[in-house]
Amino acid sequence: MNESAPTVLVVDDDPSVLKSLARLLRSNEMNVATFASPQEFLDQSEPFIHGCLVLDIAMPNFNGLELQQELAARDNELPVIFLTGHGDIPMSVQAMKQGAIDFLTKPVHDQDLIEAIHAAIETNRMNRRAHDELNEIRKKLSTLTPREREVLDHVVSGRLNKQIAADLGTVEKTIKVHRAHLMTKLKVRSLADLVRLAERAGIKSIAPNRHDGQT
Amino acid sequence: MTVLWSMLASTSLAFALLHLFIWAKGIQPWANLSFATAAIAIAVITGMELMAMRTTSIEQMALILRWAHLPLLVLWLAIICFVRCYFDAGRSWLAWLAVGLRAVALILSFSTGQNLFFDQITGLKQVAVLGSETISIAQGSLNPWYVVGPLSTVVLAAFVLDAAFTLWRGGTDTGRRRAIVFSSSIIFFLLTGTCHSALVNAGVINSPYIVGLSFMPILLAMSYELSFDLLHSAQLSDQLQDSEAELRLSKQRMRVAARSGELRMWEWDIVPDEIWSTDDDPRLYGISEPQKISFEHFLNILYEEDREQVRHSVERSFIKGNGHYESEFRITMPDGQVHWFNSRGRIEFSEDDQPLRMLGVTIDITRRKQAELAVQQQRNELTHLSRVTTLGELSGSLAHELNQPLAAILSNAQAAQRFLAHGNTDLAEIQDILKDIVNEDKRAVEVIQRLRLLLKKGEVQHLPVNLNKIVEEVLKIISSDLVNHNINVNIDLAKKLPAVIGDRVQLQQVLLNLIMNACEAMSHTNADRRRLFVHTEQNGIDKVQVSVGDQGPGIPSESLGNIFEPFFTTKLQGMGLGLPICRTIITAHGGQLWATNNTPRGAVFHFKLPTSPGESA
Repeated sequence: MNESAPTVLVVDDDPSVLKSLARLLRSNEMNVATFASPQEFLDQSEPFIHGCLVLDIAMPNFNGLELQQELAARDNELPVIFLTGHGDIPMSVQAMKQGAIDFLTKPVHDQDLIEAIHAAIETNRMNRRAHDELNEIRKKLSTLTPREREVLDHVVSGRLNKQIAADLGTVEKTIKVHRAHLMTKLKVRSLADLVRLAERAGIKSIAPNRHDGQT
Repeated sequence: MTVLWSMLASTSLAFALLHLFIWAKGIQPWANLSFATAAIAIAVITGMELMAMRTTSIEQMALILRWAHLPLLVLWLAIICFVRCYFDAGRSWLAWLAVGLRAVALILSFSTGQNLFFDQITGLKQVAVLGSETISIAQGSLNPWYVVGPLSTVVLAAFVLDAAFTLWRGGTDTGRRRAIVFSSSIIFFLLTGTCHSALVNAGVINSPYIVGLSFMPILLAMSYELSFDLLHSAQLSDQLQDSEAELRLSKQRMRVAARSGELRMWEWDIVPDEIWSTDDDPRLYGISEPQKISFEHFLNILYEEDREQVRHSVERSFIKGNGHYESEFRITMPDGQVHWFNSRGRIEFSEDDQPLRMLGVTIDITRRKQAELAVQQQRNELTHLSRVTTLGELSGSLAHELNQPLAAILSNAQAAQRFLAHGNTDLAEIQDILKDIVNEDKRAVEVIQRLRLLLKKGEVQHLPVNLNKIVEEVLKIISSDLVNHNINVNIDLAKKLPAVIGDRVQLQQVLLNLIMNACEAMSHTNADRRRLFVHTEQNGIDKVQVSVGDQGPGIPSESLGNIFEPFFTTKLQGMGLGLPICRTIITAHGGQLWATNNTPRGAVFHFKLPTSPGESA
């Protein structure tokens, strides 16, 4: 897992506000990167950086909400804290719906901002961890043979070895061997662990087949 | 005969006295004096004629005839004087010639023979005249110089005739009548008297001299004229009385009218600098001095703020070809109340275009002025109210404008606190922070000042204003609103724009209204097409034009005529007073506000203001 120090990215078209925010964050010993417009941010920032985004809503041509949408479109889960000169309810609703961490009004009190940033960074950390775990699982899953993968789908769906063997047209013993193999490959010890992992990986239980209906 | 001649003499004397009297009264003094002199001379001649017809001694007769030339010379002088004075005509050389010949005749009468008529009187002939009386007539050899007398008569007759002719050509009815009456009577007298005397002397006619008698037509003519003059003067006196009464009446009427109209008439003699007023009730105008005052004195009576303006308009009226003065000023009355006056006058110029006199009237316009001020005040209230409403609509954006510097200040200050708390103090950094705080504070103050200016309820100012600056200021105020509405701004300002005279705040208000309307008009326009145009330009020599355009749907043609009507609105919220107030403001600035539709879309509002003379910015 990448545990480099988090960076706070600040976007505001007002240079004095931008400068003062950067200063405030640096005084709280944070890494800061500033951008004078959303376009500059898109052009210059590292896309999947560890940290969060502090974003002014009202900017000419390309406003904060639009940048938020653009990031979502690019699957960038960077958490966003909005700053605004005046609390506009429709805007804040839209911002929160689009997944903003917080919506703060200017002038913003350092405590509120720092807390929001910590929360955002925490979210980012969680997201990244979940992301990393998922990558790990996907990597493990990719080591399975097609037959093992098939058995996995059936096991996760809660079917017995006997049923699986019947479905796949083989004997129970073979299924048992496949099952042991895949448990080893996926580094799980119990059925419960296996189910949890599958769930994480987004593997859905397969639809109950016709044999069930007949039994 | 004696009786007749005595009567002639006394009639002549009576006329002489009458004219002496008139002369003493001084009406046409020289004419009267000369006529009186002529009448006296005739009286003397008549007396001499009487003495001549009564005498029995040759010596006495010769003496009488010799001395008779003296009154004749006087008579000549008197006639010439009279013609010159009464007719104001006659050639000088003829006059001099006639008098000269007559004087020569007088000299000859004493130097040659016994007199001018006779070289030697040989005897006296007794003749019975008109049956009853016997008179003496001289007989003897004639003096060869005798001809000088009739010659002077002919010259004098020519002089009179010439004068009469001049008068006739002069043209008036009276002049022609006088020319005929006097000249004919004088000439008749001269020729009759002279010819008759000559014939008597030559012994052709046995009769007394009738010089006095032949003068009678002149006396008659004179009395005829005199009666005319008397009649005329009587008529004149009547007319004078009438017109005096009328004058009194019209003066009275004038005074009543002036009083009821609170009007005061005045006159200013510019050269001696005396102002004089016709009104005898000075309380009406708060001026306690009934006497003449100087212009500076008058200015000192006025409200101090109004003095320069009055002086200026007076100076302007002195300019050749102008001559018209008008101004409004205030005077504090003795009771402490301030009254407004309107004063107008006309200058009379001398031939070399120097101002001589100014005549004028002053009206108390206090009530009208108060009403005007009340209306003005109401309009100002309304204007202010609408401005406040406009700013209320903008409050969100304005909060943003103010929040930006406040946010920067707070963050800077808290950063500084944090730096200091950590103990690793970088003084340069702290200094930089404090500098930024000061700058941001100034920025916040500017925003507040801009707003306070707009919210202020003050007197309307009339100062030179640069419309480019107004555009920039308004765009600053409204900038965050434009950002929030996703509106791009195209500004096209004329490089050198002459200043206009006006109220900065009100002009900002107009522009703010027009820009906000434009923004609102574009609320349903596609975000990438929302574009606001602001354009300033010089229009002709003395106008500046500002245009505000949008990319909205434009103004429906049926509404184009109504949008400036009060309470006409197409918006859900809004009183419909924004544009009428804008138009009122622009009209009060001597300008025009109108709207057009743009192609292919959008509306444009234009306003045009007169530039201030001599100012450029």
